[in-house]
Amino acid sequence: MELQKVDFVSVLTQDIARAKQFYGETLGLPIEGESEHDLEFTLGQVTLDVFDPSSIGQPFAPSPAGIAIRVPDVAAARAELEEKGVEFDGEIVRGDVCDMSFFRDPDGNALILHHRFAPFPDGRMP
Amino acid sequence: MSAEGVGVERVDYIRVPVTDIDAANHFYGELLGLRKSPNSPHDDWVEYEAGNVTLAVMTPHTHDYEFSALPPSTIALRVTDVAAAKARLEAARLDVGELWDSGACKGAGVSDPAGNRVLLHRRYAAYPDGSLP
Repeated sequence: MELQKVDFVSVLTQDIARAKQFYGETLGLPIEGESEHDLEFTLGQVTLDVFDPSSIGQPFAPSPAGIAIRVPDVAAARAELEEKGVEFDGEIVRGDVCDMSFFRDPDGNALILHHRFAPFPDGRMP
Repeated sequence: MSAEGVGVERVDYIRVPVTDIDAANHFYGELLGLRKSPNSPHDDWVEYEAGNVTLAVMTPHTHDYEFSALPPSTIALRVTDVAAAKARLEAARLDVGELWDSGACKGAGVSDPAGNRVLLHRRYAAYPDGSLP
């Protein structure tokens, strides 16, 4: 079986308009496509699909995945999001290799601002 | 930074919460055949390369939060042939969902040992701009 790539990652929403505002305006992601119950954004190298499951009679559940979004500066990105009303869970975490800051979209889907500053064990830089 | 949002560059990884790391390694590494990253830092955080995205298979209970499974189709893995992939996984005694066809793509869901429902996916129709997947 050949797995080629990730076509999309998805999060569920209970409010398409609110999700469009958050991902499109607050995070500033380019939109690839939209319909009444579905939005597609460009999230770096992959498509982020935002879907209202009630449109097909499915239950809503927030994702605990924690999509790690690479930004050049976690503190600056966090400050900008906080100015826009986004609330974060705790302080910025500075690990041995990366900075992280945890937050959620308006539906409760887990997201992470992430910046690795140390090389990987094989010597590559992110 | 404001003009470009917060400067989003890419997805570094997506956490895949599991309860049994050995069972998860068997599923993602052997059954799905994903390449384990040589940069996986710990036994309870194992990174697999899924083409363009890194899947960080990890145990929440060793990272200070409680496990809950991902909603269905959080991760859509592109395969060359959904029916063939479904057959192969069923031969390994996995329960794969019905193959569906939306008119633009085909898919079938399969659960990892922790209950995360992963989508085997293949779009066959051209995108609105005429390009093909």
